[in-house]
Amino acid sequence: MRANFSVLIRTKRSLFISLLLPMILLFSWNNKHILKTFGGNMFVLAIVTTIGVMSLSIFGYALNVARDRENGVFQRLRVTPAPTWTIMISRILVQEISNLIIAAIVLIIGTRLYHVSIGAEQYILVLLISLLGGAVFLSVAQAIVALIKSADAVNAVARLVFIALLLLGLLGLSGTLGNTIRTIARWSPFGAIVQVIGGVSHIGPWTINSLWALIACLGYIVIFSLVGIKYFQWESR
Amino acid sequence: MRHTGKEPSGVVLEVKGLRVAYDNKIAVDNVTFDIRKSEVFGLLGPNGAGKTSTLSAIEGLVIPKQGKLTLNGVDIGQNTLQAKANIGVQLQSTSFQAELTIKEIIRLYAGLYNVNLSDKDIIESLELIGLQAEANKRFKQLSGGQQQRLSLYIANIHSPLLLLLDEPTAGLDPQSRRQLWNRIDNQRNIGGSILLTTHSMEEAQAVCDRVAIIDRGKIITIGTPLELIKRHRNDPNVRKVARGKVTLEDVFIGLTGSQIRD
Repeated sequence: MRANFSVLIRTKRSLFISLLLPMILLFSWNNKHILKTFGGNMFVLAIVTTIGVMSLSIFGYALNVARDRENGVFQRLRVTPAPTWTIMISRILVQEISNLIIAAIVLIIGTRLYHVSIGAEQYILVLLISLLGGAVFLSVAQAIVALIKSADAVNAVARLVFIALLLLGLLGLSGTLGNTIRTIARWSPFGAIVQVIGGVSHIGPWTINSLWALIACLGYIVIFSLVGIKYFQWESR
Repeated sequence: MRHTGKEPSGVVLEVKGLRVAYDNKIAVDNVTFDIRKSEVFGLLGPNGAGKTSTLSAIEGLVIPKQGKLTLNGVDIGQNTLQAKANIGVQLQSTSFQAELTIKEIIRLYAGLYNVNLSDKDIIESLELIGLQAEANKRFKQLSGGQQQRLSLYIANIHSPLLLLLDEPTAGLDPQSRRQLWNRIDNQRNIGGSILLTTHSMEEAQAVCDRVAIIDRGKIITIGTPLELIKRHRNDPNVRKVARGKVTLEDVFIGLTGSQIRD
């Protein structure tokens, strides 16, 4: 795990994007019109937290796994007596801890910037949900590296998936593209997580929709993980 | 499964009727050989002959369709983790995380093989392989020769019973290659057994006690380099390609054909 942490910290680009993008959004969306469009301060915080977690999970995990696979790092690890599952689990744990750190940074800065007051239990719940969000996007990333072998292709597809989820989330949830797209966006991986974060941070009461959003998140994790495990190959050749 | 010396025959690795297939393509077919204590065994073959697949089966990276692999009398298939703990591997590509420093890589692999190394031990080891000045450099900053030296050191970090080297000198300059041959000799002299694959007949003759020529998944011939030359020097295919005195390379090309393989 320590080695994986060192690698993640030294892969500055994905860390930089994962922290920079939420920060830019936090500061640039700090006006009444945008906050109103997305449904309030806390909802914007939920969106920005989700973007940070999504960025780190998709870019940090998928690109590192694809590159290490192409360079034979996995094969080198697999010939050691370490059980194979520990190779992936240690990476996933490192990613989740990083997701937690990103979410905490966004939340601390965001609540001060937007003058949002939430209790300690809400902080903890939002951070826990960011772990759930991390798991959803890590499973998406795992499915990408399972279905695509070449690191270059993974790089391109991961960017496309990220942009598609981001645009669907932002434009869809804002209602710019109409109600149908809004509904699709709400049940996309991005929208489902935003809904759950919204639910636990007491934007409104915990509704049946929040529960369905939580179930949708778990469903995404199961489906993408199954694809990601079934089709994953340790070698890119 | 440490160096017990209990095996009466001195056989460290036994490969019997090994068959490896990927989907419907048979990569290794009924391969049988053994490696003895303090022996350097070379597996020679053109591209796609089945060398790496044979090694992969021994390393536990692929599950054989058929056959038995035993390391010091213990079934590799049934005790994979135990076998892995007693095998040292240098893969074809030197494959460590590019962002990690040399010290971090050593610490990581020492941990994976359950070897306790202090900072002092690491520095002393790096001195032995001439990488002390590179201790805090990242892997990607090393030259090809330095990467190979580190890779061989890591393969040996747990003093394995058997060392598997997959084309260890590919892409190395003559100096680095000679250095590696010396390290292989040293390993044999201290009782180590080595299985290496190579395209270089010069290398096979310089370091291998016995070699097997493999083609299209099957072993064609096996013996010491001199035995193979003696055995096949009158083979018409070998005579056809020989340019003067028959060499191991002539035997190799004569038996596997002159066609270029991808």
